[in-house]
Formats: sequence, structure tokens, C-alpha cells
Amino acid sequence: MSKPRLEADQQLQQAIDVLPDHQPKRDLWRGIEDNITNHAAPATSSNGLYAIAASICIFAVLGYMSVLQLTGSAIIQPQQPNANVLATLNHDHQIQKQALLVQFADANAVTDNWQEQLNELDRAADAVKAALLNAPNNPALLQLLQSIYQQQIKLIETVHVPKWQRV
Amino acid sequence: MTVHVYQAQPVFDGVPEQELIYAVQAGNMQAYQQLYKRHCNKVYSLAYRLTGDHGMAEDATQEVFIQLWQKIQQFSGESKFSTWLYRVTSNITISYMRKQTSWLQRVFSKEDFPVHEPEVQDASISLDALIMRLPKQARIVFVLHAIEGQRHAEIAQTLNIAIGTSKAQFHRAKILIQEWINHV
Repeated sequence: MSKPRLEADQQLQQAIDVLPDHQPKRDLWRGIEDNITNHAAPATSSNGLYAIAASICIFAVLGYMSVLQLTGSAIIQPQQPNANVLATLNHDHQIQKQALLVQFADANAVTDNWQEQLNELDRAADAVKAALLNAPNNPALLQLLQSIYQQQIKLIETVHVPKWQRV
Repeated sequence: MTVHVYQAQPVFDGVPEQELIYAVQAGNMQAYQQLYKRHCNKVYSLAYRLTGDHGMAEDATQEVFIQLWQKIQQFSGESKFSTWLYRVTSNITISYMRKQTSWLQRVFSKEDFPVHEPEVQDASISLDALIMRLPKQARIVFVLHAIEGQRHAEIAQTLNIAIGTSKAQFHRAKILIQEWINHV
């Protein structure tokens, strides 16, 4: 190892050796104690998003089923127009997505894993579409699907067009 | 300056760590609070350097101490407690970071791609500020290897990457930091 490199490594090691400790800005103990005592999900953690999404889907479907049961015979057959809404939504999104992918085919992306993120959103959309099979007229599920599609479009645009170019 | 008021019982002040751990393993919450008090800042500092975000680091620290209450039964005393605890911390924090980048975060969050700007608190650039400027994977590898002393084989297993990738990321991080230091 060259002398300058050795000195640089020693300098870095000295900096590492004196790294200070940081202190949380809020009191974390209360949340920890509450969680342990109650055996509940972390109160302040935001990692329960899967549960939130699952709950939204379940409540949306259950809510829709309840409405169906309450209205009973008033509903004779499923409303076909929303099937068209779903088909239109899917169709329009695919066209818009493909157009953007073609447009940015030769452009460099600002992140490496954007396609992986895109695939995750695809899987999310598939989950909502599966829920829509049981509740095709459910507006909450349709809005959720639309939101996921919008996230995909924003993702493709954001990773290919840096913010400074969009100002 | 943030001041925290801890209410750990004085009876556990100055108690040797091993006795404290026995008390926690026996289910004593006051002993656990004392253990938290002793290690909170170290755990939080590691979580902060891994996540690069104070809010995430606070959430991860809570997650560590919530899970530690159960996991501490597995601590056999063969290694130093702090070494074991920081391994647990890095594993839980990295797992927490993975959850945070799930698709649902993007579906429900207002900001799709939050940018973590380096926090420069004074005129001099600290090593922490430089660590925060590193690309995510290089930062995590640097923190685990250079600061926490983990071997590349362990890091590769934790991050699900090749050992060579871990070494390359560490080299990249080191060179970047040294260049930044020289240009200050």
C-alpha cells in the first residue's frame, strides 16, 4: 500500500474512532413500553402499511357486500357500466405507460431499481383487480387502482426526468 | 439540545450489565428500561447511519427495543452483549428499511422519492455528513464494515448480495469519503 493511501486510511480510521453518538429527538421509551405491555402493533411505527392496505381492501369488499345484502332484491344484476370503467381504465393506463416507456427507452434513469418498483406496483394493481372481481362496482377499489396507476406514471416520469428539468 | 427524562428505577443504576440482563430475561421491565437507557443512543446512532433519516431511525430504534424484549431470551452470554445487540439492531433496521420501500409506501405516501439531503450542522463537514452523502448500499456496507466491524461475508448475507459486491461497495464508499475529505 502506498504511503499516501496508508495515511488516508489512518486519517479515516481516526475519524471513525471519534464518531459521536446521536440522540433521538423524541422520547421513544413510552411507545416501547406501551407496545410490550399491550402486545400490540408498534404504535408509532409506519411499517403496518401492508395491514392498512389489506384492511382497506377487506373493508371495501365487506362494505360493498353489506350494501348488496341490505338492498337485496333491489339489485337485480350487476351494473355493467363499471366493468367498462375498469376496462377503460386498464386500457388507457396501458397505452399511457407504454408510450412513456417508449419515450424514455434510451434515457438514463436516476435510480437502478425503478423497474423493480414498477413491477411491485403491477403486483399491487393485480391484487386490487382481483378484489374488483368480487366487487366490480366498488368505487374505493377503483380509486385505489387508479391511484396505483398514477403512481406508476409518476414513477416512470420521475426516474427519467430529474426535477430540475421539470421546473 | 434535547433532554429526555427517564424514569428507570434507581435500584438498577450501576448494576453490572450481566445482572441487568438476567433481570430482563426474568421479565423485569424496570431493568429493561435501564438497559434501554444505557444503549438507546448507540442503537439510534447505528439506525440513523444505516437509514440516513432521523425519523426512520427513531422508528427503527423503537422496533429494535420492542423485538429485543422477546429476543433477549436468546442471548446466551457467549459474546459481548453490545456486540450482539448491534447485530440485532442492524438486522432489524435493514428489515425495517426494506418494508419502508414497499409498494404501499409509494401508494400512500405524499412524496414518492424523498431526497435525504446531508445534514451539515456547522461549518466543518463531519464524517457523519459524508456518510449520509454516500449511495444507499455503499453507505450501509461502509457503516456495517468500517464502523460496526462486521465481516463482508456477514454483510453479504444480511443484504443478500455477493461478498465481492460488499467489498466493492466498501471500497467505493471509502474512496468517495477520502476524496470528499481531501476536497474540504
